[in-house]
Amino acid sequence: MPQLKQTEQTASFQVTATAGDARAGTLTINGQSLDTPTFFPVLSFYGGGTKSSVFGGGVHRTIKEFMLGKEEIGGGTYDKYFRGTMTSVASLTDYGINQERFNDYTSDRIKDRETFSDYNGLIFVDSGGYKFLHNNGLDGSDFEIEIDQREAFRIQKQLGGDIIVNLDRPIAPNDTFDERQQKAERTAENAVEFARLTQTYPGARYLTVHGYNYSMLDRFFDHIQSQFGNIDISTLFDGIALGSLVPKKDDKAALITAVMDCVEIMEERGLADLPLHVLGIGSGSIPLLVAAGADTFDSTTYIQNAINQKYAVSLTKHIPLDAVDFNQCDCAVCSDPKLVNWMQGNTEYQKDVLGPVAMHNLIIHRQEVRELRQRIKQHGTDPVIDYLDETVGRNDSIRKQTHRVVNEALGGYF
Amino acid sequence: MKQHPEVNEVQEFLEIASDFEDPLEIIRESLSNAYDAGATEVVITIRDSAAGSDIIIEDDGHGMSRDDLKSFFDLGNSRKTDSIGHKGHGTKIFYKSDRIVVDTAHNGSNFHAVMDRPWEKLNEKTLPEYEVSETDTRPGNTGTRIQISGFRSGEGFDPQSLTYDKIHHYLKWKTIAGSTAHFFDDSQREMEVVVDLDDEIDDTRDQLTTTNQLTFPREQLQPSTGEFPATRMCKHYPPRKIEFEHDEGSSTVEIVGMIGGKDARNELPTYGRHSVQFGVWLAKDHIKVEQINEVLTHDNEFIHFFFIANCQNLELAANRGKVRNKASSLYKTLKQELKHYMTKIAEDPWFKEDYLETRKRAQLRRRAQSQTTSLEERLESIDTNGQFKPTNRSEVLLALERSNNEADNSITVKEYKADHEVPAILLDDDTLRTSHVYVELTEHFEDDYPLGSADTILCWSYGDIDILREYERNGYHGGDVEIDLQDNQIIYHHEDRHTVDIITVSDRLAALEHQPLTSLD
Repeated sequence: MPQLKQTEQTASFQVTATAGDARAGTLTINGQSLDTPTFFPVLSFYGGGTKSSVFGGGVHRTIKEFMLGKEEIGGGTYDKYFRGTMTSVASLTDYGINQERFNDYTSDRIKDRETFSDYNGLIFVDSGGYKFLHNNGLDGSDFEIEIDQREAFRIQKQLGGDIIVNLDRPIAPNDTFDERQQKAERTAENAVEFARLTQTYPGARYLTVHGYNYSMLDRFFDHIQSQFGNIDISTLFDGIALGSLVPKKDDKAALITAVMDCVEIMEERGLADLPLHVLGIGSGSIPLLVAAGADTFDSTTYIQNAINQKYAVSLTKHIPLDAVDFNQCDCAVCSDPKLVNWMQGNTEYQKDVLGPVAMHNLIIHRQEVRELRQRIKQHGTDPVIDYLDETVGRNDSIRKQTHRVVNEALGGYF
Repeated sequence: MKQHPEVNEVQEFLEIASDFEDPLEIIRESLSNAYDAGATEVVITIRDSAAGSDIIIEDDGHGMSRDDLKSFFDLGNSRKTDSIGHKGHGTKIFYKSDRIVVDTAHNGSNFHAVMDRPWEKLNEKTLPEYEVSETDTRPGNTGTRIQISGFRSGEGFDPQSLTYDKIHHYLKWKTIAGSTAHFFDDSQREMEVVVDLDDEIDDTRDQLTTTNQLTFPREQLQPSTGEFPATRMCKHYPPRKIEFEHDEGSSTVEIVGMIGGKDARNELPTYGRHSVQFGVWLAKDHIKVEQINEVLTHDNEFIHFFFIANCQNLELAANRGKVRNKASSLYKTLKQELKHYMTKIAEDPWFKEDYLETRKRAQLRRRAQSQTTSLEERLESIDTNGQFKPTNRSEVLLALERSNNEADNSITVKEYKADHEVPAILLDDDTLRTSHVYVELTEHFEDDYPLGSADTILCWSYGDIDILREYERNGYHGGDVEIDLQDNQIIYHHEDRHTVDIITVSDRLAALEHQPLTSLD
């Protein structure tokens, strides 16, 4: 293992308040700050189109118009909902583009492009490991690119990611023990190469970890540590990203176990000062996982729900679009007659019906997470417990798990 | 021409007096009346006589005025607004008797009221009358004495069948004597209730003395020793007031209760069948009305719980046995709130991890013990038949036989009963061993079998060793478990130490270029 230089700190994480295992803090990268807990809405900056359509992507296009306050959606300032966004190397070819367009997409950093020059949020670029698991590369309409750690990093860098992660090999619920070890081995090898490649990278570097419980995660960290020899990995990474949980997204008990156990291991291994990101999990799980000790999240739920004609009334509750009384909501989208008219179906393109719904969903989710953040900053654990009790605790299917989190991470009710 | 519908008064009295099926309700009504009159002591005396029974109720409250006395005898003319007896039906049960005498001292007046042969007259279709005489008394002299003579028990009130126990249970279950109000209201006045039965009815004690407060059995958070360690465990849950909104406005439910094992629950009074009286009760005036066990999730047996949820906005049937406004939004929301609160109780780590786990482990231990004897019998009646169907576990046994060609020692299968928890008996160097059989060792833990009911675990492989590590880390059946792959042993410490040998067939077939694992790490 060659020596790895510790680079100048481009990223820092300050915990400002705790309530039980839940924590509130500030993540600062290259002078830009985000208050945590928070979630990064997933966004395709490049959705197959060109500059004239904000690079396209259907509903993603409309979301980008909101993000940039474009005239198409009637202007307005929505940038505060996009202080952090999540995008993935793997999504570049989601729309079957050709080599030429791919080269264009990766020719310039996102924020250096004229189209996005007004955007100044933090961009988290995922390596897309889950997608390359069964297919080792990016498939365009007339080209293929083999993705290894070096190539994944090259693209992350080209896109100008403020937060980047190593190329990982996510595990699956039915993996055998041996399969998990092989994947951990591969991820650990990539992590070392990633650490080497990113020594001078001007952004935050996160290490991905995989496992559903303490023993799996502990063994995973052993694989990582054995690759790094006696180097203290907390000096090489600015955060931990817990992956492989998407297949378990509806199993709240499994999500809570994974996060709680990961937090425990981070403490044991001297990594407790790093922020913990949970990859691909959002909406209704956020309050439970924040209570369990996670700091940041990313999720496409806000768009997925809109596509399924679901309109958010809270993190856990959505109602069918055709049953919505828009007067009941005072968010910027629902207060705009033009956008309400669109949401009622009076527009030419489906993306314009669903785009504002997705934007509304995002606003509601962010407001709830902000509320949770405020509660952590208040005195004691009661404000957080009350929040959980009034929100997720009212949902029959996750009530039990809410009580479990209160008991195990917030000191209990009795 | 307008006409008033007429009420047949006699019929009305008859109906109402008959409406009360449980004559003990006389006692309930009197206790509530006494409490409302500010009494600190009530004495109930029951005598058995040839003509029927005599019931005497005396209290030291502030007595009745002439108007109070009138509403005592009137029908549907209560002076109360929203508590027990506001319908003015309750005391009409007294009409099922030969004679009612009321003496009450109030504000310097002493009223003496007598009603003769009320029940006989009602049955002759005439309204019974009562006579009141007034005398002066000292102003400080207050209180009420009601004597019911020749009470027609009809069904269920045979003084001969009354006992102190039965009355005590009734008091605590159905009357103000079992009130939970004191948990919520510090100003709740304590009232002593004394019951005195004729020696011929019950001579086991002189009298019964209790108060108007329901209390729970002593708390015991830790298990006891012995075969049934959870049976006296008990935890109290503090009183909680929960306000909720519904279509008709807002209401409050006040809930208090306990969780306990059988012995703890047996210290509570009984009403009806002891085993079915637990769970969650709705109450009004802090007196239990009916169970609402559907607010407990289906995976929780109601028997462990005893909670009383009081809501003053419940409307009750005339005999207080049922809630009437079940179709209301209030009732539906109340149910939701109780469901929500009871899940918190059911998820309390003490209940789930301490109490239920203690109970389950003791059950498994008892089961394992009872199986030990049948194992001994099976060991004695070994029959060597090697006919196995190639199911998964059977294939492990076939592989074991095959491994005898490769391994240093030979292990043969002497008996295999697939449906037994300990299915196999093996012969290993002239020693008979009882053995579990699994494809993977992890199955033993996942199936939650006790360790120590067999000598050996025979398996093809260990399976996912991270799962085994989780058991090493978190413990198993309340004890510590250590899986020693070096010596092929599981060491289990719980009160005493057990070792279980592991035979890994795939290691015995080590010719398959297979390095046996030596550690979980």
